[in-house]
Amino acid sequence: MMAKVQTWWFILKICFSERLVYRGDFALGTLMRFLPIVTQIFLWGAIFATLSEATGTDTIRNFTYHDMIAYYLFVFLGRAFSSMPGLASGIAREIREGTIKKFLIQPIDMLGFLLLNRLAHKLVYYGVAALPFAFMFWLCRDYFPPVPEITTILAFVASLIMSFLLGFFLEAALGMVGFWFLEVSSLFFVYMLFNFFCSGHMFPLDFLPSPWVEIVRAMPLQFLAYYPAAIWLGKVQGAELVQGLLVQLAWVLFFIMLCRVMWSRGVKRYSGFGG
Amino acid sequence: MGTTMSIIELSNLTKTYRIYQKKEGLLASVRGLFSREYREVKAVQGIDLKVDEGEFVAFLGPNGAGKTTTLKLLSGVINPTSGSATVMGHVPWRRENEYRRKFALVMGQKNQLWWDLPAQESFRLHQQIYRIDEKEFDRTHDELIDLLKVKHLLGQPVRELSLGERMKMELIAALLHSPQVLFLDEPTIGLDVIAQHNVQEFLKHYQELRKITILLTSHYMKDVAALCQRIVIIAQGQIMYDGSLSGIVDRFSSHKIVSLLFSGDRLPDDLDRHGEVIEREAPRAKIRIPRREVAEVMARILQKHTIEDVTIEDLPLEEVIAEMFSLVQSENGSPVETAAAETT
Amino acid sequence: MSSQRPSYRNVFLTFARNSLVRDMMFRGNFLIEAISAPCWTLMNQMFYSLIFFYTPSIGAGTGWMKYEFFIFFATTILVNSLVQAFFMRNFEEFSELIRTGNLDFALLKPIDTQFLISLHRITWSSFANTIFGLGLLGYSIWQLSATNSEWAVSLGGVLLYVAYVLFGVGILYSLMLTLSSTSIWLGRNQTLYNFWFYITNFSRYPMEIYGGSAAGSALRFVFSFGIPILLAVNVPARLMAQPLKEDNWMYALVALAATVMSLLASRWVFKKALLSYRSASS
Repeated sequence: MMAKVQTWWFILKICFSERLVYRGDFALGTLMRFLPIVTQIFLWGAIFATLSEATGTDTIRNFTYHDMIAYYLFVFLGRAFSSMPGLASGIAREIREGTIKKFLIQPIDMLGFLLLNRLAHKLVYYGVAALPFAFMFWLCRDYFPPVPEITTILAFVASLIMSFLLGFFLEAALGMVGFWFLEVSSLFFVYMLFNFFCSGHMFPLDFLPSPWVEIVRAMPLQFLAYYPAAIWLGKVQGAELVQGLLVQLAWVLFFIMLCRVMWSRGVKRYSGFGG
Repeated sequence: MGTTMSIIELSNLTKTYRIYQKKEGLLASVRGLFSREYREVKAVQGIDLKVDEGEFVAFLGPNGAGKTTTLKLLSGVINPTSGSATVMGHVPWRRENEYRRKFALVMGQKNQLWWDLPAQESFRLHQQIYRIDEKEFDRTHDELIDLLKVKHLLGQPVRELSLGERMKMELIAALLHSPQVLFLDEPTIGLDVIAQHNVQEFLKHYQELRKITILLTSHYMKDVAALCQRIVIIAQGQIMYDGSLSGIVDRFSSHKIVSLLFSGDRLPDDLDRHGEVIEREAPRAKIRIPRREVAEVMARILQKHTIEDVTIEDLPLEEVIAEMFSLVQSENGSPVETAAAETT
Repeated sequence: MSSQRPSYRNVFLTFARNSLVRDMMFRGNFLIEAISAPCWTLMNQMFYSLIFFYTPSIGAGTGWMKYEFFIFFATTILVNSLVQAFFMRNFEEFSELIRTGNLDFALLKPIDTQFLISLHRITWSSFANTIFGLGLLGYSIWQLSATNSEWAVSLGGVLLYVAYVLFGVGILYSLMLTLSSTSIWLGRNQTLYNFWFYITNFSRYPMEIYGGSAAGSALRFVFSFGIPILLAVNVPARLMAQPLKEDNWMYALVALAATVMSLLASRWVFKKALLSYRSASS
């Protein structure tokens, strides 16, 4: 156990130092990622400007203009936790190219290893990015509603952590489809599309009219970006909030189990090919 | 005969590089725009050269000597720091279209053909870019295909061809527009022996046929010996020698190899006194002796032993050149890779 | 002996043909690209439709109602897909080549180097988006003429639109050329594509949304007259969707001037970059 911890710490340190070399570049790059939000701020500003005049209310589904901006910033944060670039395609590629064998031969659990890898990467990445992030949030502080109660904040953090796990296991499962199908890039592409649209990345899912909103709420994708933001902004409260967190937890557990099953089945199938 | 104007003239051509300490990352690069540390590398130092039309000249030299840089200067790919050069009356680095139509550069192991497409498609593109007349294109094209025997490969994507076959295609592409001057940078590097031979044969034949001017750089003595009468040795950016192959030995060979056939079955034990024994298999021995000592050593040996046969030879050309490079190194103090490793 | 300048038209056609042959060799990839790009566009389209579910226009008094805005969006698609089809890949390659010193072969050809590196590869799959854009444009025009009696499209209007779409492509092309040329000095900047995305993101919406605040006005000014990316889409979109707007003629003139100056400026930067070019050692 001790050896494992030491290994993990070692990996973490290496990732960290590698990142630090690029830190100036990196801070600039991180700030640049906020640029699209600037456009969104202006866009929604223009939309809300005519709203009260045209429709009589100044909210869309209970979102005010300020809510919108705060929402986008929180979604940004949520995506920072849940996005796993290259995870699915990396797994699929390792399966395709045979390099996945090292996980079969050595006593390393692939999923555990990858999870740790991602965790380390994110810790490092956002450790260094924390400053630009904080700076952006501070710049936009006027848009935020008053800081919610501690219970809400705890729920928010819980949801964020779960979104990390959900994002990981979901994409890992996708990647492992590669055990059965050689050409999975179209699957990933479809997933990316759905992710973009249905995770709340583009707009609050509340905006969708029926029956779409029900369909999207039945999917796990909302928890990748929308849900934590909705918690902080108070769009879900009380019993509903607890229920939502439980559903999120259920999805996380479901994908963990799915991954385990896919791994063992997939490995059996893979070894059958005598690769 | 005719005019004394050379087709290629270099005068005091110099190229000095500044190697900056490159730092990665955007911010570092931007900062680097204002202040940078650098060191200077003199790639080419004041080269003077004249080449007449129809000559086939080889540039020989170790890595970093400046051979490729010289070719690139003459192709207009880079600008010189100072000095001048004209090729067919043009200043190369002005990159005039008129000039570019008249010459070709082929670089060994560097590919300019479209990777995924058959060579034929790249040839057609060449025709368009160089505005080669249809009939003339067909004629030249067929001639080259025949000479290099690659007709069956024309429809295959370039990436599927072997290294040797790719080089042939590169040569064809370079010659389609019938250039008057051809620059070849290590054209046979990485090729197997047969492919090397094919390329050499082709170049020889083509040059005799078309009487074009060719400048070739190479590490391989076989290229040079087979093709060129004139050798220019470049080391550390300067011309060390400019003349014929045999002249090199005369000028630079510091040692001779003496082969002795002793009478009797045994060799004397003190052979090492006379020089460096490079081979001993009784009753024969080969000794490497500095040139100026040959007469004296020979006298000594003949006095002490009975010799049935003697042969005195020059060092192999490769060794001569390798030695010459080491000489340059010890003279100038800064390290220059010897050519010994490369000459095969 | 070949002694005439090449026919740029023929060379370009050969580039187009070679690119098509090559793309067809990798049919799977081609199909994926040709389908995925319009899918993303469709998703954005659905997002905008959703917005108009809640509000009749974007911005007060800007004139960007639903179908006007769809025309705007279609124009964005057209300009960007053309840039993508003709130039994107070429400049990604160019910025690598010039930085690593592998541009030699381009410099040996008796043809304008800028032409060569800008156009030798055409990404045919990007035209799928162009088709989508044209479809959306047609649909919006049809809807707009049905619902708005004051609005009409004329042949002159269409020609003007096409011209300004091309100017818009020219402006973005100049930006791309400048960005990729600078990689010789700035080294490995974040892949060209990312940088490109962040900058052109501002050009995707009507310039009117930047009104109202000091920061907004500053942005609008910089991106109209400094790096005129705002003009690339806005001007043709306005000419088509809101032809009667008062200051259209001013923007049209500015856009024309901006295109010319951008092209000249970017060529200058390009030539400067070539002067600093260092061939890689073998």
